[in-house]
Amino acid sequence: MAVFYLVAFLSIFFSLLVIFSKNPVHSVIYLIITFFTFTIHYVLLNAQFLAIVNFIVYMGAIMVLFLYVLMLLDLNVNSEPVKSSLMKIAGIVAGMCLLVTLAGALKGSGFLPAGAHEEVVQRPNLGLVKNLGQVLFHDFLLPFEVSSLLLLSAMVGAVLLAKREPREI
Amino acid sequence: MEAQSTAINYLPIIFQILVALGFAVGTMAVTHMIGPKRKTSDKLTPFEAGIKVVGNARQPFSVKYFLVAILFVLFDVEVIFMYPWAVNFRELGSTGMIEMFIFMGTLLLGFFYIIKKKALDWD
Amino acid sequence: MNALITISVLAVLVLYLGLYKANKALLPVTLLGLAVALFFTINHWNVFTGPTFNDMMSYDNFAVAFSGITITSTMLILLLSKGYFEKISDHVAEYYSIILFSLAGILVMVSYHNMTMLFIGIEIMSVSLYILAGIRKQDFASNEAALKYFLMGAFSTGFLLFGVALIYGAAHSFDLEAIKMHLETNLQTGQAISPLFYTGVVLMAVGMAFKVGAAPFHFWTPDVYEGSPSLITAFMSTVVKTAGFAAFLRLFATCFYPLHDFWMPVILVITIITLFAGNITALYQNNFKRMLAWSSISHAGYMLFAIVSLGSEASYGVFVYAIAYSAASIIAFAGLVLMQANTGSDSFDSFNGLGRKNPFLAFTLTVAMLSLAGIPLTAGFIGKFIMFSNALSSMHTWLVVLAVINAVISIFYYFRVIVAMYFKDAERAELEIPLNFKVVLAISVVATILIGIWPAFLPNVI
Repeated sequence: MAVFYLVAFLSIFFSLLVIFSKNPVHSVIYLIITFFTFTIHYVLLNAQFLAIVNFIVYMGAIMVLFLYVLMLLDLNVNSEPVKSSLMKIAGIVAGMCLLVTLAGALKGSGFLPAGAHEEVVQRPNLGLVKNLGQVLFHDFLLPFEVSSLLLLSAMVGAVLLAKREPREI
Repeated sequence: MEAQSTAINYLPIIFQILVALGFAVGTMAVTHMIGPKRKTSDKLTPFEAGIKVVGNARQPFSVKYFLVAILFVLFDVEVIFMYPWAVNFRELGSTGMIEMFIFMGTLLLGFFYIIKKKALDWD
Repeated sequence: MNALITISVLAVLVLYLGLYKANKALLPVTLLGLAVALFFTINHWNVFTGPTFNDMMSYDNFAVAFSGITITSTMLILLLSKGYFEKISDHVAEYYSIILFSLAGILVMVSYHNMTMLFIGIEIMSVSLYILAGIRKQDFASNEAALKYFLMGAFSTGFLLFGVALIYGAAHSFDLEAIKMHLETNLQTGQAISPLFYTGVVLMAVGMAFKVGAAPFHFWTPDVYEGSPSLITAFMSTVVKTAGFAAFLRLFATCFYPLHDFWMPVILVITIITLFAGNITALYQNNFKRMLAWSSISHAGYMLFAIVSLGSEASYGVFVYAIAYSAASIIAFAGLVLMQANTGSDSFDSFNGLGRKNPFLAFTLTVAMLSLAGIPLTAGFIGKFIMFSNALSSMHTWLVVLAVINAVISIFYYFRVIVAMYFKDAERAELEIPLNFKVVLAISVVATILIGIWPAFLPNVI
C-alpha cells in the first residue's frame, strides 16, 4: 500500500506540474513522467497488458506526437492571450465542483465498490496478456473488428488533412 | 495451466532500470566532477568555428513529419492488438486466424491507400 | 449486421474507386450501396430474437427504425452533393468514404447492446466528423470549426468514458441488460446502489448532452455548424443528431430506467435550458445558417422530452420527431446550398423576392419552416404533439407550458424567412435548380406533408 501512495503522490504532483509549467515542452516532458507513474499503477494492479500498452503507445508514440504538434506551432512569439482572472476563478470553481462530486461519490462507496476487491483478489491474473486475449477474441470480438474501421477512417482523414495539395500554378 | 504472474515479478526489471539510470547519471556526474574546466567566453559559445548563429531552433516545421508520425501511431495501435492474439495463437486456432486476418486486411487496405496516395513520398 | 458490413465495404470500395480515378462512378455506387444497406436493414423488421454477437448488438425494431432514418437521410444529402465536393477539393472519393464511415459508426450507435459498442460507435462517427468539418483546408472558419469540434468532442468523450468506467466499477458489466438487472435486484432487495453508479450516470448524461448539442454543453454547435461546408452541416444536424438521440434514449430508457427518479431532474433542467438558449438566441441571428444552428439546439430540447418522460410513446416520439426534423432540415439546407452557390450570401436578405422568381423552391422552404415551427398539417406538428402529450401523461404540465412558449418564440424567426421570400421585393435573377435538388426537395416535402396529414402511415411498433 505504501508503494501505491508514493506513486499516487507522484502522479498528482507531476500532473500539476504539467498544468503549471510555462514552457509547453516542459509540460510534455512532465506528462511523459505522469504516464510513467500510471504504468507503475497498472503493474501494481497486475494489469500487465495495460501497463505495456501504456508504456509503448502512450509514453512512446502519443507523446512524440504531442511534441510534433508543439513544433508545428510557432513558439517564439508570446502569442498566448492573457486570461482574465475572472475566467481563472470560474475555471477553478468549476473544477473544484467536479472534484467534490467525484470525491463524494468515492467516499460514500468506501473507496472500493463492494465486490470489486474480492474479484481482484480471487482472480489475480485478470489483466495478463494471455487471459485478456482470450476475452478479447471471444466476448469482445465485435468491438475489436469494428475498431479497425475507426483506425481506417482516422488513417484516411490524416492523409486527407495533412497531405499537401500540389501547388496550382 | 493459466498464466500467472504478480507485481513482484517486476522486481528484476526495476533493478535493471535502476542500474541503467544509475550508470548514465553516475558517469555524467563523475566526468563533470573530475574533468578540467575552463570557462571563457570563447569556450561557452555554441559553435567555436564556422558561420555565426542565426535565429533560434524553434521554427515551425513542415506538416509532412506529422503525417508520418500519426500514421506510425495508427499502426502502432494495430500492432498492440497482435500481442494478445499471438500469445493465444494455439488456443484460438483457425477461427482466431480468420478474425485477425479480417482486422489486418482492413488496415492493410488502408496501408495500400496510403502508398497509392503517395502520402509517404518525400517530394 | 449485414447493413453495417455493406456500408463498411462500400466505404472502402468508394475509397479505391477514387484511387483509380473513377470519379463518375462515385455517387451512383454510393447511393446503390446505401440502398442495399437500407434493404438489409428493413429485412430485420420484426425478426428480433434477442441480442446477437455475444450480446454486443441488438437489432430490435428500435435499431431498424433509426438505421432506416439515418440511411435514408444520408442518401438524400448525398444526392444533393452532386458536384458540391468537386468545388472544394480534388479528393472527392475521400469525402464520400468518410461520410460512409461515419454512417457505419452511427449504425453501431443506434443498435448497441454493450457500452463498448456505444463508445466505439460514437468514436467512429466523431472522428469522421472532425475530418469532415475541416475539409476546406484554406478556409479559416472551416479550420476553426474542425479544431473546436475536435477539442470539445474529445473532452466530452472523456466524460462519457469516465462514466462508463464508473458504472463498470459499480455493476461489473458493460452489458445494458446486466446493468439493468444489477439495478433492479439492488432496488428490490434494498441494497444500496454504489455512489459510483450515480456519478457514472451523471457523467454519461453530460457526455451524451455534449454529443447531441444540448445546453449548457452546446457552445461548440453554432461555430462548428457555421464553419463547416453546408452539406456537412446538413449531415451533422440531421443524421448525427438523430443517431445521438437514439443512443441517448436507448441508454436511458433501457439501461438506467430503474433510476428514473434520480436522473430525471438533471435531464429536465438540461431540457429547459436548451429550449430557452436555442430559441432566444436564434431570434437574434441575421444569418440563415447560424439561425439553423441555433434552431437545431432548440430542437434538441424538444427531443429531450422523450428522455424526460420515457413513456410508452418515447421511442415513437423521437422516431417521428427525427423524421420530421430531418426532412425539414434537409429542405432548408438544400435551399441554403442553392442560395450560397448563386448569390454567395446566406443572410435573410438574400431570400428577398424568392417567392416570385422561384415559386417551387419558395414553397418547399415554406413547408420546411412551417414544419420546423410546428404548425398543424406538417410533420413537425405531429412530432411536437406526440412529445407534448407524452410529457403531459407523465405529469410534466409546466414543462409543456414552457415548451409551448418556446414554440411560439420559434415561429418569429422561422417566419422571417417566409416573410422575406413572399413580402419583400428585390431585383433578382431566377435561381437555377438542378434536377437532383428538385428530386430531394420533392421527396422531403411529400414526406413532411404526408406525415402531417396521415401520421398513422408510420408504423408504431417500436
